[in-house]
Amino acid sequence: MNAKIKETLLNPIFKGNPITVLVLGICSSLAVTVTLKGALVMTLSVIVVTGISSLILSLLRNTIPSRVRIIVQLVVVAMMVILVDQVLKSFEATYAIDKQLSVYIGLIITNCIVMGRIEAFALGNKPWPSFLDGVANGAGYGLILLVVAFFRELLGSGTLFGVDILCRFGYVTNNLVILPPFALILLGCIVWIQRSVQKDLQEK
Amino acid sequence: MNTNGNFYTFIYTAVIVVAVAAVLAFVSQSLKARQEANEKADTISQMMTAAGFATKAEFQKMGNAAVLARYAEEIGSAVLVNVQGEQVGELDLSEVFSPADLKKQNYLLKGDKAEARIPVFTFKNGIIVVPVYGAGLWGPVWGYIAFEPPSGGQFDIKGAYFDHESETAGLGAKIKDDPAFQAEFQGESPDFHADRIFEIVKGGSLKEDGEEVLDNQVDAITGATMTSQGLEAAINTWLEAYAKYFIANEPTDDVETSNEED
Repeated sequence: MNAKIKETLLNPIFKGNPITVLVLGICSSLAVTVTLKGALVMTLSVIVVTGISSLILSLLRNTIPSRVRIIVQLVVVAMMVILVDQVLKSFEATYAIDKQLSVYIGLIITNCIVMGRIEAFALGNKPWPSFLDGVANGAGYGLILLVVAFFRELLGSGTLFGVDILCRFGYVTNNLVILPPFALILLGCIVWIQRSVQKDLQEK
Repeated sequence: MNTNGNFYTFIYTAVIVVAVAAVLAFVSQSLKARQEANEKADTISQMMTAAGFATKAEFQKMGNAAVLARYAEEIGSAVLVNVQGEQVGELDLSEVFSPADLKKQNYLLKGDKAEARIPVFTFKNGIIVVPVYGAGLWGPVWGYIAFEPPSGGQFDIKGAYFDHESETAGLGAKIKDDPAFQAEFQGESPDFHADRIFEIVKGGSLKEDGEEVLDNQVDAITGATMTSQGLEAAINTWLEAYAKYFIANEPTDDVETSNEED
């Protein structure tokens, strides 16, 4: 694996994380992190959408008229989001989780990470690196989602993936953790930790 | 090649849109059967949750096939009635009344009432389930209300289950997600003779000592006024449509009957 590919893959996960550093996709990370299962399905959906949309648009990049490029991006991303939603609805195992995530699967299209990476990366790079960039950004987003969901499900419902962990020891579930503001508090803590570890992120 | 000419731009966007539409149409058609099977099992499990056969989570664990089998085992009859309370048809027991069907009938109930054909499901243990449907804040809300086998002069609610398309998570979505809200309906008895058959009220369904003020009231959801009002309207529209059916089938009051015999 050459250095550039490695950089493309790893940068979005830590140093250039779309949520904690670029502050994109905050809205959905507040909404879908009540349970780990929901966060996991959302993560996989976003990875598929960012990866494949970046790939398709990178393949098309030299043919897209620049005046309508945003519209073309939108059409492709919207198509991917609808495909993901349709597939989730079709399987018994994912039907309930799709209902639970309801509008947020459809709202992946408004997730700034997707369009942001297409505009910033896929339109100027070859298909393979663009695909990796999309996947890595989806994964960077998902990593934060899973960390937040881990704490919210553990402290809010006393469970992990629906399996009772804390309640059997008499833990009283905390409703504040279930509500969206707590996700924001947790995100703040994650940003704080990341910036104290990576000193070069701190403004002078 | 000049990719910025008007002609090129028009052709390009047209081709992209048609190609995307073709892909989506193809996928939608090929997955339709599976999605409908999921929706059917979901609808049945909502009805059976209202009727208290198991919780929604338990039904989810059972899987579609087991849900359908359980339904086939428990369902007694499914009939269509009109707003006059007359039975006007029968439903095939293997079919369900989907939210899309409810939407159609809801449209008729708001306009051409006489044309509406609404379903009554009766399970073998005597529990009667009827659907309700209406508008929430962001999209439709619907649900199922189950009544105990009629006795003692009134219809007591055995349980209720509500669902929605896009109510706000944590607020309006509580009509589906908050078991405490749905549990409030248990033991209530809608007043089919009243103007407002059922009410979802703001902080006042219980007196200070915990006694109920009225038998046909539950508390609304804090922070979800529009959803609560929408659900109340849905329940009243539909129960009003069922009123004549229920009144016609009203159980004779046990006490009165015995007095007459004396």
